[in-house]
Formats: sequence, structure tokens, C-alpha cells
Amino acid sequence: MSYSERERISHVARRIGFGVEPAIVKALSVDEAIAMALDLSVPTPPPDPVAPADMDEARSPEQREAPYRYWFAQLVDGPRRIEERLTWFWHDHFATGIQKVKVPYLMFVQHATIRKLATGSFAELLHAIAVDPAMLIYLDGVQNAAGRINENFGREVMELFTLGRGNYTEDDVVAASRAFSGWVVPRAGPRAERRGLTPWAATFVPFRHDDGTKTFLGVTGELDASDAIDIILDQPATATFVSAKLYRELVGVPPDPTTNERIAAVFRRDWSIMALVEEIVADPGFVSDDAIRTKVRTPLERAAGIAQVFGAGSPAAGRSIFQALRAVRFVPFAPPNVAGFPKGERLLGPYRLVHGFDLAAALPREVPDLSADELAARFGIFDLGADSRTVIDAATDPFVRAALTVNAPEYFVT
Amino acid sequence: MNEHTTPDTGAVETPDGACPAITRRRFIAALGASVATVAVGGYGISVWGKNPTATTVAPTGVLQAATTAPTVGSLGSATGRTLVVVEMGGGNDGLNTVVPFASGRYHDLRGDLAIDEPLDLDGEIGLHPALTFLADRYDAGDVAIVEGIGYPDPDLSHFASMATWWSGLPGSVGATGWLGRYLDGTVGSEDPLAGVTIGPGPTPALLGERSFQVSVQDMSGLAPAVPGWIDDTDELMAMWQGFAPGDFDGAVLLDLVRAAIGITVDAANELNAKLDGAPADDPTPAGRRRRSDLGTSMEVAAALVTAPGPPAVVYVHGWGDFDTHEGQADRHQGMMETLNEALGDFFDAVEAAAVQDRVIVMTTSEFGRRPAFNGSGTDHGTANAHFLVGAPVAGGRYGETPSLVDLDRRGNMIHTVDYRSVFASVLTGWFGADAETIFGADLETLPLLG
Repeated sequence: MSYSERERISHVARRIGFGVEPAIVKALSVDEAIAMALDLSVPTPPPDPVAPADMDEARSPEQREAPYRYWFAQLVDGPRRIEERLTWFWHDHFATGIQKVKVPYLMFVQHATIRKLATGSFAELLHAIAVDPAMLIYLDGVQNAAGRINENFGREVMELFTLGRGNYTEDDVVAASRAFSGWVVPRAGPRAERRGLTPWAATFVPFRHDDGTKTFLGVTGELDASDAIDIILDQPATATFVSAKLYRELVGVPPDPTTNERIAAVFRRDWSIMALVEEIVADPGFVSDDAIRTKVRTPLERAAGIAQVFGAGSPAAGRSIFQALRAVRFVPFAPPNVAGFPKGERLLGPYRLVHGFDLAAALPREVPDLSADELAARFGIFDLGADSRTVIDAATDPFVRAALTVNAPEYFVT
Repeated sequence: MNEHTTPDTGAVETPDGACPAITRRRFIAALGASVATVAVGGYGISVWGKNPTATTVAPTGVLQAATTAPTVGSLGSATGRTLVVVEMGGGNDGLNTVVPFASGRYHDLRGDLAIDEPLDLDGEIGLHPALTFLADRYDAGDVAIVEGIGYPDPDLSHFASMATWWSGLPGSVGATGWLGRYLDGTVGSEDPLAGVTIGPGPTPALLGERSFQVSVQDMSGLAPAVPGWIDDTDELMAMWQGFAPGDFDGAVLLDLVRAAIGITVDAANELNAKLDGAPADDPTPAGRRRRSDLGTSMEVAAALVTAPGPPAVVYVHGWGDFDTHEGQADRHQGMMETLNEALGDFFDAVEAAAVQDRVIVMTTSEFGRRPAFNGSGTDHGTANAHFLVGAPVAGGRYGETPSLVDLDRRGNMIHTVDYRSVFASVLTGWFGADAETIFGADLETLPLLG
């Protein structure tokens, strides 16, 4: 089939932006939609994590809710749509979970770091993540010390974050882990005070660092964390691996090898994430029939879309969305494991499909009385199938029509 | 819990009560057609069937051809027996689960993490002190312990090793899972409840080319939590099923979703009817909160295996956080307590329903952990010990305890039993299935089921 210009514009909105993007859907052309989605001219309201004074305060309801509230508000209507897409992408890529980190403030700090660099330099972002306090806790960097090397981060940084499997050896895992050793994150409290340490900050403790000679990916020296990251960045596989993953995020299908090499070369030049994004969305493949409707929409995208179309101003709607996301284990800051959130068809299992209806609780009780076609248009859907139209219009209650629209096949797929 | 009035005959009722508009078989036929050709954009593992673009979460993983799907009935028919798999996610520490406490080397390597007083089974090995139920059942002859399970050239990546275990094809991602291929070769698409995953997402181990798996979390079954003013959830689900008209263009992701909605409503009706009929010991919200995560999963498993027409496979997917690089002593203790209690409650329910002769439980995990203590926990390891539990099990020790002296160059144990041999032993001994068809290899089997 061939998609209309309107459907291509919606595709651009959904893929570069997040959710439905009612403003971008109204663009007059694909090019205008891309320009709107990539616009960085208006700054995002800055995140403002407030350091807790002790562990009790760290777990207070205010601390727990702050990062989630801030992020969801930006996902719904932050001014920089590509920043939202990329901030999500990097959170999923550098997956870090509150379940283990336990201090919401540190998740918020990591979020601020990712957001600041999401549209900046990948090299800077990777260096920052390697000594990010939440990451140091999540992948056991804080346990990794000379004489008691912990391989958790050393392995995942190469397997999942940069090189991909097949591009390093088990000896490299050990060498990297030694290079990364020596970092701690002091908790706020009398102990940190006595030692004169800054609470919640990544802190290098020289005597915990293995300062011996290591050979890592062919480079020998008294390597530390920063050296190890530089060595990883020098590997051609890093640009290839990461650029392919971002291509897949935006286009929905993997790049062919030629395209992957081309975009990786652009990426490697100075690690500009926006240069990579621009290269990918300029590829004719991005708005081609082979890209449209090839990706399963995540529960978070579905939730953000509902909030964009019908508003999520009320605290009740916010709570409903949080509960619905929790039911399907798709809560920001809580990826199921270091590989990030489930993707693709894994989101189509019976449990997650059925609980898609939980998001109906985020719709206002008094939904406007709209037909299937009118509802679909609000959600940026211009290819509603005849069967879907019949099902939605058969419902007499306007609320049920809206609930069915956001659980239609056309809303499960972007 | 929601009211479900649909009988578990599998019939689909349309909102007006007319004849079923769509049959399950037509959905599956459509799925089979679509998944063979569709280039699906997601980068997860195919939920619905063989997906030529599927890779593991590490996209550079080598994709090798799986064995072809066995034809329906070629591996026998439904047996009325159930295998419950409890998958310990993250790599359970087998050395502190089945403890070689008589070995001085064990104590040297483990240091402070060593378990000095396990539940002694035979003077050589003992179980973690929390595993009292398993120790009692071992003494009664209902627990097989297989030591030294692994595969050649072990991969210490969680994701690569999980893929190996799920597919049953070492060194390969595989497009289908070992249990999915078993269901392909028995009931195929006839029974949507033949394979049930307990967890939010489906397990790749149950991924078949034509068989289907339901995923469910707890006793509330497969029903959405909708606002109070929607008073008839069944009616909503029936309307939703209208999105699946039965005619599918085989190369479109949207059609995959349509098909998925159709079969999901069918399966939900059957599953909910079964769970509604199950006795609950304390169905109040407070009672549910008191249960552990595995306890909740095993409660669902018990309800399913004690109902008429039990699933062939119930798979508890990725339970726990066994990746104990740090803080292992406390964390592992807690999970062993949970395991012990959940298994005890499960078998209590099984025995109360007098179905103990048709249920066995097997544990799995992607790898064991390194013998050497890292100061706080243990890093990724290799060979591991696992349990097979149930009245039909021929209790005792199997395999060979791996050496703690001759370790590989990373300091890990060298396996003595091919993990596929354990799977093959269960498939042949429990289901009477031809394991060679499922693994594409002639594997040694152990007499775990007599």
C-alpha cells in the first residue's frame, strides 16, 4: 500500500516526537513536520533535583514522585520534541533502574545528565554515564575495587552500550573492570560529613583503584575509567553499533550495511548526536512505505499520546497513567533489566495487550461525542481500517468509543 | 476479580450472541502466514512465531537457523501432564544452592560467603539452609538434583546465555524455543492454553512457529483494570475482538496486532474461567500483598495444573534478581526462602487436588556464578545445579559435581552435563516426546523420571 502525505506527516510526528504530537500532525508537509520535530530553539524547563538530607528524606513521597512528574510533563508537551525522543532512547539504552538504585534523587540527577547531553555529544554522554552515581550503583561500580574486581559494568558497557557482542573478549571485560575500579557514591549522613565527602557525588578513591598495567582492546597502560571510555570510542564498532540502534529507533527497521556505514561515519566524525539524527531522517528510507507502521508503540508512547490529545492535567489522570504503566511493567526509571525496556512484538503478548485498556482510565470521563473517524484524526491516525471504524462506531457510549480507539490496532503500531 | 461467564469450551461469543465469527485456528493460520514473511520493525524476539529478523537484544548476535518446526502430532498428543519451569533470572548461584560443603576448596574460594552448615543430604553436598522443603522431599525420593549443567564454550553474557537456554540450541539465538517446538509438534494451534507464561511478557522458551502462549501475572487473570463506569468488561473485550476480522494481509505488522487481539480474547476467556474456578486461600488484597512474587506466580500455576485440561507447560519467566555481583549473602538468602515457601505451597495445593502424579517442577537459570568470592558477591559463572521436583521424579543425584580445582582460565567450573540432556530427559521421560526432533541432535538422557 502507499501512504498519504498526511499519514507520512503523522509518522514523522510519532517517530521523532513522542506519542501523537497534535501540533506536528497539523504540519503542511513532511519537511515542515521534520523541522518542527527537530526544533531546539526553545529551551526545556530545567529539571531541578533537590538533594535529600538523609536516607529517610531520599525515600519520601515528594522525592519519589519528582523525577517521574517532571519527565512525564516534558514527554507530553516539552518544547523540544527530539529531546524527548532522545532522552527516552538514552534512558532505555543506558538502562538504570530505581529498583536497585533506590534513591530517586540519583535517578533524577542521571535524567538531568542524559537530557543535557541527549542532543549533544555521545562521547561526553558516555564519559558522564561511566561515572554517573546511579549507574555506579546499578551496575555495581561502587563495589568494584582493587583486589575485588566486579565485572558488572565492565561487561555491559561493551555488550549493551557501545561495541556489541563479538567485538571484545572476556580478557577485555576483566581489563575494563579494573580500569573502572575505585569509584564510590557517599550517601548523605554523618559518615560522609566526617570524611568530608560530598554526598551523592561520584567520588574517586585512589586506594580503591587498580592502578596496575592493563591491556584493554589492544592498548596497554595504567588505564583508568576515562582511558577505557576513550579506547572504546576509538573502536569503529562503537559508532556502527550505536548508530544502527538509533536508526532502528527512528526508522523502525535496521539499516542495511551500506547505510549503517554511512551514518556511522557521520557519527564518528565528532560524536554529534544531532548530526546523526539529521543524517537518519534525511535518508529517503525514513518516510518510506518500508518504515511506516513497522514499529510497536510502547505503553509510554500510548500514554503520552492520550495525555497530548485529551490532557493529563488532573492528578487522577496522572495516577491512572502511572498505574497503567506499572501494570505492564513499563515505568520510566524502572526498566526490567540492563537491556532496557521490552520492544517490538514482546509488547504484544496477551497480558500487555489486555492491560492496554488500563490506559482508558486516563481519558476524561466526559469524552466529546466523536465518531471513529473524528477520534482517529485526533490521534493522528489517517489510515483507519474499515473494520476498525465499524467496531468503534458500533459503541454507543462516547467513552467506550475513545477507549476502543486507543486500543485499536492502528494505535498499537507506529 | 472480574466475572467471567464464558465456559471454557473455547467458543467465542460475539456481542449479539451469534455464532463465533472467527475461530482460533483461522487466527493461527493467519499468524503462520504472516510471520513467515513479515519484516517486523521491533527488535524484540518474536512473540508469535518464527520471525526472520528476530535477534537477541544484542543485535549483532549470530542468527542461526533453528531446527524446522515439527508437524502437529509428530511428537505425540496432549498427555494431561504438566511441566512447571521456574526460571531464576540473572544466574543463580548453584554453589550456594547445592553446596559441596565437604570440599575444603569450596570454603577457600568462597571465604565469608561459604555456607558452613547446609542441610546435609549425604555427607558430600547439602542444600542452602532455607531449602527445608526441598531437603525433606529429597529424603522422600521426590527431588532429582542434577549437578554440573552447562554447555561448551560458555558465554558469560546474560543475554547470550539466556538465548542459548531458551532456544535449546547452544551458540545460537534460534528462532523458536525448545518448549515452543515441543508444543508445535503436539497440539500446535489447537490449544491456546497449552503453554502459559507467568510474567508480564512471553518467554522465548515457549516460542513456537504455530503454537501460542498466554502470559499472565496473577490470579486476576487476563482482564484489564478499567474505570468503574465501564460495568461490563466482558462486553468490552468482545467488542475489542471485533478488530480481528479474520482476513489478514500476511506482510503487515498491523495485521499481526489484529490477529493477536483476536486470539488474546479467546485465550483470556478460557484462562479466566479456569482461574475463577480455583479455590483461593486468601483472596483479599491484603492476602495477595502478603504473597511473595514467586508465591503469586506459583499460586497461578497451582490453579492451572489443578483445573481440568491443565497446560502442558507453565513457565515462570525470569523470577528474582539472582545477578548477585554484590550483597549476595542477604539477597540470596531471601530468594532461597521465597523459593522454598512457594514450592511448599504449590505442592500443598497439588496434593490437595490429588494431581501430584501429573505435575513436575524444574528450575533453570542462564548460568551459575563464579566460585571465587569477589568481596561482596560473585560474578558470572558457568556450570550449575538444578532441581526436578515431584512425585513422579526419580529422586537422587545426577550428573557429576564439577571440579573446584580444574577451573577454566576465567576461574569458572567446567560443565559435566549438557543442559540439553536435562531438557531431553524431561521431554522424553515426562512427555514421551522425541527429543532429537526438538534439538536436532541425539542427546544422552538421564533417568530423571525413572
